Amino acid sequence: MTGLRQSSDIDPARHRARAPYLSVAMLPDIPEHAPSPELLSQLLASVGANADRQAFAALFKHFAPRIKSYLMRSGSSESQAEEFAQEAMVSVWKKAAGFDPAEAAASTWIFAIARNLRIDHFRRLGNRMEQLACDPHDETLADGADPAPTPEQQLFGLECERAVRSAMAALPPEQQLVLRLSFYEEHPHARIATELGLPLGTVKSRVRLALNQLRRRLDGMQS
Amino acid sequence: MMIRHHPDDALMLAYAAGTLGAGHRLLLDVHLEGCAVCRQHLARLNAVGGMLLEELAPAELSPHALERVLARIDNAGPAAAEDVPGPSNGVRGKPWLPVPWPAAMAACDVGPWRWMGPGMYWNRVILPDAPQAKVFMLRIGAGRMLPQHTHSQSELTQVLWGAFDDGRSEFRAGDFDETDGTVRHQPTVQAGGDCICLASVEGTLRFDGWLARLMGASIGM
Repeated sequence: MTGLRQSSDIDPARHRARAPYLSVAMLPDIPEHAPSPELLSQLLASVGANADRQAFAALFKHFAPRIKSYLMRSGSSESQAEEFAQEAMVSVWKKAAGFDPAEAAASTWIFAIARNLRIDHFRRLGNRMEQLACDPHDETLADGADPAPTPEQQLFGLECERAVRSAMAALPPEQQLVLRLSFYEEHPHARIATELGLPLGTVKSRVRLALNQLRRRLDGMQS
Repeated sequence: MMIRHHPDDALMLAYAAGTLGAGHRLLLDVHLEGCAVCRQHLARLNAVGGMLLEELAPAELSPHALERVLARIDNAGPAAAEDVPGPSNGVRGKPWLPVPWPAAMAACDVGPWRWMGPGMYWNRVILPDAPQAKVFMLRIGAGRMLPQHTHSQSELTQVLWGAFDDGRSEFRAGDFDETDGTVRHQPTVQAGGDCICLASVEGTLRFDGWLARLMGASIGM
């Protein structure tokens, strides 16, 4: 996590704006607070339909620093995470034509791309992803499936995102933490055990409990 | 196809988070292909992932990150669908199955069936990016039973054809099973016909009896 703030005195937008060969001279005028899910979906759809570089720059501004953060949370160095975030955004550009806002929220779609790239990334680094139970002799590695979720995996689009957001917010803090660590950490079960002071053997049941609560809330909303 | 046994929540979450080993991931890919219920569940978990990604504190990017990315995009040519494998690829070289090969296995290398006991055949499945992953297929004749065994860690099974019963429940085509060290079982194939399963093992299988252990050793377990 060292080096995160190294270059905080530099304004990235200014440097980008000065670059001579860019067709995107300025970042689009989007508000400083997080853009709405609707806007993000429109931007991503526009990248897919029109190869819209302005829209891409806005998506980049929102997602690239978070994708970098996502990798740093799971133990990557700053430079690895930087390279990863750039690679992920190239992938977003290339695959954007397959994005349908009626089927998935932009954040869901981009998460799936970043997640699958992370699997490849750790495989290339030779790191072993967490097994359900850890075996020092097991060299099983992660494979790289098609990063783009299929339409069937995205039944609810923005509605699903909204429902998940409010269901998560309604969970007790400990269960929110369990889910966060499950997604961010390279070795989530070990980390959950440490954070909550649990024996490793009981982590799985905590994960199930959290998901059960989430599912009940979602079912309540969507029935 | 009525699917009665699904991957449990903890497994689905690990899949959505991208923390499963390659073999287990393949088993879930194959199950998801045939199971709309689990695809829906996954869509929700992916939405949780997206939401959590958005709430992460942004990390500082290098000042030229966007221009580098745009330069890479320009070098790569116009936006186009790429890396899309053909849906019917990958059957060549694989043994015949009574059902279509799962699309998720298109890039896997599957050899011919090999004898491992009376009415019992097996097959090593080699994943292109993870050749060490212990994934294999079993084809067991009607009425036959596998030797009794337990598991040092985790075994996932997806039934592709036929049905077996291990005393805990009956598992039919499309069903998914997860077993670990708490389960000692002896899967027995139903009388109606062969049963074909795809399995992924993390750790080892532990067979009871020397003959069974020999059989296990012959398939690298």
